[in-house]
Amino acid sequence: MSTLPAELPSPTPIPAAPDFPVLWDDPTDAFLMWTNDRMHFPRPMTALEYEVWAAFSDGANLAFTSLAFPIRQRFRRINGYFYQAAIPIMPPDQMEANGQIAQEQMAKGIEQLPERWQREWLPEVQGILERWRAFPLSTASNDDLAAHLERTLAMVSRLGDIHFHVVIPGYFPLGLFEEYFCELFPDRKPFDAYRLLQGFDNKTLETDRALFDLARRARLNAALLTLIQETPPAALREVLEQSADGRAFVADLRGYLDEYGQRGETWSIAEPSWIENPAPVFKTLRDYTRDTAHDPHVEMRRLAAERDAAIAEARANLKGYPTPVIERFESLLESAQFGNILSEDHNFWIDFRGFHQVRRVVVACGERLAGSGALAAADDVWHLASADVLRALRAPATRDLRPLVAASRAEVEHFAAITRPPALGSLPPGAPPDDAMARMMGRFFGTPPAPADETDVIRGHAGSPGRVTGRARVVQALADASKLQPGEVLVAETTAPPWTPLFGTACAVVTDTGGILSHCAVVAREYGIPAVVGAVVATSRVRDGQLLEIDGDAGTIRLLD
Amino acid sequence: MASILWLHDSACADSSLTGGKAANLSRLGADVRVPPGFCLTAAAHQAAVESQPVLSDALAGAVAAAYAELAQLCGVDDPPVAVRSSAVDEDGAAASFAGQHDTFLNIVGPDAVIEAIARCWASGHADHARQYRERHGLHERPVRVAVLVQQLVPADVSGVVFSANPVNGRRDELVINASWGLGESIVAGRVTPDAYVVRRPDRHVTHRTIGDKTRMTVRTPAGTREVEVPRLLRRQPALTDAQIVELVDVVLGLELRMQVPVDVEVAWHGKDLYVLQCRPITTIGAATL
Repeated sequence: MSTLPAELPSPTPIPAAPDFPVLWDDPTDAFLMWTNDRMHFPRPMTALEYEVWAAFSDGANLAFTSLAFPIRQRFRRINGYFYQAAIPIMPPDQMEANGQIAQEQMAKGIEQLPERWQREWLPEVQGILERWRAFPLSTASNDDLAAHLERTLAMVSRLGDIHFHVVIPGYFPLGLFEEYFCELFPDRKPFDAYRLLQGFDNKTLETDRALFDLARRARLNAALLTLIQETPPAALREVLEQSADGRAFVADLRGYLDEYGQRGETWSIAEPSWIENPAPVFKTLRDYTRDTAHDPHVEMRRLAAERDAAIAEARANLKGYPTPVIERFESLLESAQFGNILSEDHNFWIDFRGFHQVRRVVVACGERLAGSGALAAADDVWHLASADVLRALRAPATRDLRPLVAASRAEVEHFAAITRPPALGSLPPGAPPDDAMARMMGRFFGTPPAPADETDVIRGHAGSPGRVTGRARVVQALADASKLQPGEVLVAETTAPPWTPLFGTACAVVTDTGGILSHCAVVAREYGIPAVVGAVVATSRVRDGQLLEIDGDAGTIRLLD
Repeated sequence: MASILWLHDSACADSSLTGGKAANLSRLGADVRVPPGFCLTAAAHQAAVESQPVLSDALAGAVAAAYAELAQLCGVDDPPVAVRSSAVDEDGAAASFAGQHDTFLNIVGPDAVIEAIARCWASGHADHARQYRERHGLHERPVRVAVLVQQLVPADVSGVVFSANPVNGRRDELVINASWGLGESIVAGRVTPDAYVVRRPDRHVTHRTIGDKTRMTVRTPAGTREVEVPRLLRRQPALTDAQIVELVDVVLGLELRMQVPVDVEVAWHGKDLYVLQCRPITTIGAATL
């Protein structure tokens, strides 16, 4: 990326935190505002993981070019954390003329999205996945594996292109629809707008429903049920293998994991997938055999009926409106409904299945290097740069890479314990933009919440409606999810789609990150449980077991004890 | 004499019976699309004024029968209608009377129509209308209000067109104002409409200003309401170029028929353009073509 800022803003440097020193490789970086995407990347990432994410994220710039957006993004790994900055690429006086073009390009992108996703992009993604699946990872020569790693990075970059060509026009109409709806019906809230989008199937819900169906099958067999409920999740597979019924069930589970298990916990690729470590799946399975109140089939029918009633009501209210107003309502509704489904489905195909394959390739490289003694363990490969991995695979003699890994690991571990600043560099001059794009980003990533006026209240954003009281369970990683008991409030920094089966048993969910269009909020609404998102300090202020009152409409968390 | 005259009958074109508004529409209905309707004559009003300002049972019965006939004509039960006063000395070239008498839009059912007619009659007596008459030296004439009942055009876009430029008096320019929804917001000046200036000889649009159209009048189950326009549509042009071309042709044709520069109210429902009112422009003098 060689794009330079069109106009350097007058710098208002953000004071550096003493425990988070920053050295800028590119001096112009210091004039940009760098923000950490805590929702997707709550933890520091290793060198190779960053390379993969940077190649992927650069797809945003190709999408910005197609959509005539007047900004480009830069990415940096700063002390292990993923930071990004937006750079304006034209002077302010050209922005207005460009705005018209950008608007037309976006309208075209939105209109063509369903067709292009079905006929063009999804088949291309599936083709890329197939190329990964077809490669003989265990039998390829070191040279072929190195070439495959290079190809893999190129394929990641292409997935990134597709991803941003899909998500930008996919998410955009959601915000437009919310604004349009609330302007037409000023006495309504944003949630009322999203009610018209709910109750459609998507890959996240399908993943959960398939697991629920497995649990339901297990409930029919008393012996099996006892095993599932009484065996610790980590030991379940081994115990099941000991009986005929158990083996049959394991085969079903394997089928489930093949289809839905190509995902890890958050968006991290350095963590094992469900296929490698199915404990989170077994835990949810056990909860589903115990808790029969939540039936995702029933829930989806209820949400669909609620949606249809809300649409009928809106249409009746618009009956006397000018046709262009009604037509725009209908087209935004259709685009927003599709965007709402795609907000989950693109993750399933691209973020999870795609990155699962990347992980397989990288870990295979790691196994080779561990086999030759260059690395102590296959997973250490994540601490290397791809150039080091390629060189090591292609070199005739083994070079000890362990000191490199040790230094990198020490750095990641050091900064994992440090609270990284939400922003680095310089504050841009002037007020932040209030255009449709900025508002959409705010809805997705969240904006700083208003300060709470009571000491026992934490403010976030309304994510999913409803008010409920329950005990808090602070879950730092999906591996801790076994602590969550049915009926508790799930409190987490962020929740990625693999976490969502937990929504079936939690009474509410609270996150530090995200806005009303974050994955967490979208899925909480589909589960019909209250959610407060973007609460920033929830995981640091809420104690495990603390009694909380969650108000998903107001976006507040009240600490009751 | 008949108290009710249909727009499509030639008798309705007599402005001494039906007022300028109804008479003009009746005359022009053969050439342009005018919503069907009937007119309660000014004589019927005068007869009532002498007794009391409400409709007699007989007159109310006649209105209900005409409304039922209109329903048949429109092919719908209880068609929504616009009920507008059409004062006999209104729409004369000397004073426009625009907005001086009430208009009731989206009136549904015979009882509501009868009530709206009574309110039009009452508004003829209202102070503001009287003052207007006095300012224009009309106060000595008797107050006589004809009432026009027409099928409502569920307007997507409403417009007001001047066949000469009322701002600078230029006769070679035509001015169009257009905005979303029914015409009330634009006629009352509560919205900044899109404005087009068209050079008449070659119909070239010389000025085009897309207004920030923040308000619009919409239909409610029984009546109208002014609401906010969603931001996405505020700065969208309300008219296409093809609509402008069609409109200019219609208005120039009306001017030719009227033999004076005209001020025309129009509405679009889908692709169909309706003329709702056509009267001489009063502000630039009554010079004939």
